[in-house]
Amino acid sequence: MLRHFILAAGLLLAPVAAFAQDLNGTWVRDGARSDVVPDSMYWTVRGVVTGGTRTATSNHVIEIRQDASTMQVTDPARPLRVYPLDGQPHTVPADTGVVDATIIASVQGDAVVVQRSQTYSGLPGSATLATTEYWTVAPDGGSLVLTTIRETPARRVTYNEVYTRQAPAPAR
Amino acid sequence: MTDISRRELFARGAAAGVAASAMTLPGSAAFAHETTAGGAAVGAPSSGPGLSGVWGEDFLYQWSAPDDLVRDLTPGTSSIRLSGQTTPRFSNAEGTDYATYFSNLKAGGWSAVESASNTWLSRGKMPESEIRAIKDAAAANDVVFYGLHCAGNIIAPDPDADRWQRHMIASIEAAEEMGCELILTHAGSMYANRNWAHPRNWSREAWERSVNALKRICRDTAGSNVKIAIEAVNSESVNNPWAHVRLREDVGDARITVGLDITNMVFPSVAFRMSEFINTTFDLLEDQIAYVHGKDFVWNEMLPGMNWAMQGTGNMDYEMFLARLSRLKTNPYMLIEFLNEPEEYALAQRNVRAIAQGIGVTIHGTQG
Repeated sequence: MLRHFILAAGLLLAPVAAFAQDLNGTWVRDGARSDVVPDSMYWTVRGVVTGGTRTATSNHVIEIRQDASTMQVTDPARPLRVYPLDGQPHTVPADTGVVDATIIASVQGDAVVVQRSQTYSGLPGSATLATTEYWTVAPDGGSLVLTTIRETPARRVTYNEVYTRQAPAPAR
Repeated sequence: MTDISRRELFARGAAAGVAASAMTLPGSAAFAHETTAGGAAVGAPSSGPGLSGVWGEDFLYQWSAPDDLVRDLTPGTSSIRLSGQTTPRFSNAEGTDYATYFSNLKAGGWSAVESASNTWLSRGKMPESEIRAIKDAAAANDVVFYGLHCAGNIIAPDPDADRWQRHMIASIEAAEEMGCELILTHAGSMYANRNWAHPRNWSREAWERSVNALKRICRDTAGSNVKIAIEAVNSESVNNPWAHVRLREDVGDARITVGLDITNMVFPSVAFRMSEFINTTFDLLEDQIAYVHGKDFVWNEMLPGMNWAMQGTGNMDYEMFLARLSRLKTNPYMLIEFLNEPEEYALAQRNVRAIAQGIGVTIHGTQG
């Protein structure tokens, strides 16, 4: 009997599993629990720190809309991202609009995994930058962990950021 | 070298108008599209300020590259030797273990090296046995010691100009002694500090000081085969490829060559048109290029504030740059420079090698 119940529950929950965990909502970056993340647009040297660096005190809020087939991320630091969660490569313009990027997004276990490949600068002729993002929600649904791996021929770096779900505004 | 006459360049520059002249490159037609960022530039007439018309040329600076840009990335047969401003820098400091130094260079993927003139000359007369030891260690490790990178300012306020000119002459003699191909120097600044842009660095007076200083250096080292490679710097008069051409003509000596530093010539008009700028520069200068600097940059500030970036991650079109380098007739040296941390040089080299490999350009040696 218990076995049948589990199977039935599994079938009922199948659509939910298709989009992993529920990432829908507004998320506020927890700087104290996050790595410092250098500006993703630039790899400056000689001590130059650019404005897009996310530090412990950065105020950074993102919004995610997710359904069974897509995940949409609104991030004030970059253009709107819409990821088809079909595991297939898609060609999209890089943020510069000058070259293309290839994206592949899918649900893998508990995580939404987004891979992206383009020239580092978004201009012709620079090194290839491959990023992989793992979006995972904690079991209580209250926090989101974003792990980003950035890989160039020169190096591979990993950053972890923690976001806290912003409570909905009270109804009036 | 593409034949774009000076008269033609200046005529086109003048046609662009006085108001535009502040941002007009002489010879702006060299950027004209039908966009050939791979072959010879097309000589369509310049129709407005700055670069050739792309869109809205009657009211916008032409700072965005044309949509139909085609890049010819056909690799040549020359093999690029990498050099780096790695730590410790190569010098003739007493007690240097040259065999170990050159062996480490080779192990790190560096197959060429230069040294700073100040340190080199401060040593004074070196024993013949030590000179031989340096040459033997370089040869044994397949590393080319190609030049002395000169400090100083050949048009500094007097009396320093004379001192620095004599420094260049001594550097050429030292380079000759070591079998180096070149020294690197600059047009100079009217301020003592060469990196500070003096308001009159682009005046006739400053230009003539540079030309006369170089004439003297050439005259006093007549008979030498050491090239005098000039590095463009934005804060000096030689800050574009056309100025390189003109300087050589005015000095009138074939030893005046180019220590090509593309990023040192960047200003807003070309910051996002680097494929074209690199290509045009090689069209103009290719048979004068003695060696090159490999740097990168981004424009990440409100003012035209360019900052140095890791090689292969910024606005430089490294594919175009490496392809054109590989098409030079002689095997070029590329100095990776302007990084702070020793480990950054290894990272830069990985990027450059990966980009080269992607387009079939050969980089000499292997990186461990």
